[in-house]
Amino acid sequence: MYLNFNNTAFITIVLWIIGSLFILCDQKIKNGRLIGNLFTIIGTLVIIVFVIILWIEIERPPLRTLGETRLWYAVFLPIVGILTFIRWQYKWFLFYSLGLAILFLAINISNPENFDKTLMPALQSPWFVPHVIVYMLSYALLGVSSAVSAWGLYLIKFKTFKPELLNKADNLVYMGFSLLTLGLLFGALWAKEAWGHYWTWDPKETWALLTWLCYLLYIHYRYKHKQKIITALWILALSFIVLLICWVGINYLAVSGNSVHTYSD
Amino acid sequence: MSNNRKIIWQYPWGYAESFIIAITLLILGFAINYIGKSTVSAIQLPVNLYMGIAIIILLLLFYFLFKKKPFVKWLSGTPAAISAICFYTFLVLLMGFIPQGLPKASGFIHEIGLSDIVSSHTFLFAQIYFLVILGMVTLRRSFPLKGKNIGFFLNHFGLWLTLFSASIGAGDLQRVTLTANKTDAVFYGVDQNGKIIPDLSIAIQLKEFNIEEYPPKAFIIDDKSGSILNKELFYLKKGNKGEIMDREVEVTEFYKYGVYMSNKFHPVYDIGAAPAAYVITKNKKTNKVNEGWISCGSFRYPGKFLELSDGMLLVMADPEPKKYSSKVKIYTSSGDAFETTIEVNKPVTVDGWKIYQLDYNHKMGKWSDISILELVKDPWISVVYFGIFMLIAGALYMFWIGNKK
Repeated sequence: MYLNFNNTAFITIVLWIIGSLFILCDQKIKNGRLIGNLFTIIGTLVIIVFVIILWIEIERPPLRTLGETRLWYAVFLPIVGILTFIRWQYKWFLFYSLGLAILFLAINISNPENFDKTLMPALQSPWFVPHVIVYMLSYALLGVSSAVSAWGLYLIKFKTFKPELLNKADNLVYMGFSLLTLGLLFGALWAKEAWGHYWTWDPKETWALLTWLCYLLYIHYRYKHKQKIITALWILALSFIVLLICWVGINYLAVSGNSVHTYSD
Repeated sequence: MSNNRKIIWQYPWGYAESFIIAITLLILGFAINYIGKSTVSAIQLPVNLYMGIAIIILLLLFYFLFKKKPFVKWLSGTPAAISAICFYTFLVLLMGFIPQGLPKASGFIHEIGLSDIVSSHTFLFAQIYFLVILGMVTLRRSFPLKGKNIGFFLNHFGLWLTLFSASIGAGDLQRVTLTANKTDAVFYGVDQNGKIIPDLSIAIQLKEFNIEEYPPKAFIIDDKSGSILNKELFYLKKGNKGEIMDREVEVTEFYKYGVYMSNKFHPVYDIGAAPAAYVITKNKKTNKVNEGWISCGSFRYPGKFLELSDGMLLVMADPEPKKYSSKVKIYTSSGDAFETTIEVNKPVTVDGWKIYQLDYNHKMGKWSDISILELVKDPWISVVYFGIFMLIAGALYMFWIGNKK
């Protein structure tokens, strides 16, 4: 295979870091912000092109293993980060998403993958791509909203919290939650076609439902109690922990034995 | 809630009352599981249909007769909704940690119904509590239905309909395993409870079973322990070159169907013929060359491996299936007969049965003489799907609008 993940990831990381430095010093450098944006966008394009070539090369969607989903995360997080930065000018937000994406790429560099071509028959379905992609997008959005909650809890400690921050998080949660709903429902429709029933309380399904319920709780709590910021921030932070268990932690739980969602890591 | 401390159970009810009710239901559920030592048995058609209609009429009557009463206001309010979500979430959380439905579950956890939560009374109570509250809030916002409430209606009523129809229809779900063979048409099967269903009203005969496979992979294993040593991935295909554990590897010949005769493999299409590859390896450090045939073998022929130095063997793994499918002839009760192909992810619907490709004889692999099919009947599926599509529409609406009012 002529694709070299390490080199590509390295180039992307370097471009993102250069871009971030330009944005960080945009007061001192003329057009610093524009140049910085360009670097981060080009870095993201490099990794996107890698994913496309990989997809063609391995003759299946690269969405099967945990490492492959990390790769998608490293694509979606910067996109969300750059768009949000251009829209709302939050530097910390861009740095957070780029930082996390770099972390994911670094994990993948240290755990080399073979990008196995095989894909079990049950995964050979038109539902496969939309099901996983909406989840990845949703996780990226909800991940950012959880960062907002952590940041908010930090600001509250120093009494500099502004309620508008949580309103932004709400928007991310609404978008992330609707994609979470779509992922769950696409999964149900697919399961009916592949396994005969739309819901079987598979451990991954159980945890996906739990994640969904936690964010459902957050939305209802925020709807009623706009003023109770601290509780809302905590619900948001804890919801993300449930999400993380669903995404990666599930393989370590006693219940995961007979899941149709156990992938080789 | 007001700032003045109000006495508990004095209207309007808030979080304290909501959570006391939810926790009482939770404990009551555990107690009934413990004392009754029984699970909730699913109701079937037509009882569930009548009950479903009765519940809907009751909910409507209750709402329209008492909508001004504080009790109904509480039922359709946020504190009640949050207590119901928490109640439900708590049970799902337990399900997320306690392995469910194990055949030999015992002990206290089992006796209060936690080893099979879905069929416990506690879960039934959570479901009823959730559905009543969700139903009430849906009714409150739907009469009169305003344009700006469309997203709310799609999400709440969609969820209500999905959960409601999935729950009351659960008893009508029939999943029957049928083992089709080539000699005769099979019209019986075994359902999900292990009960034999003597007449399915359709019969199925296997015409041809097919597996499409990925090229097999090569591995280097330890002669003694049998464990895989290499991390690299190498597919055995004619002309494929690569490296495994500092050895250059080249495949000079590959037969998808090979039979070993007089010291070499021949391309023969015969029952049990297995993939075979001629491989040349060169140790990059010692320049030592090892070459020979390898094969994963089959139920009929033994496998072959290539001995390398240092007690290592080059072996071929069984090829992994890409897709498998059954060409079958189906006879319906009306006397029709037709041929069709059933594939994983591509079920076929006949006479209300949805027929799935489930399994085959793994020992015989692609030469399997049977095909295991699953026949599924779920008369409530269209109602559940109606709910699911409302939810999808609601989610798209929500994505578009966000939390803007």
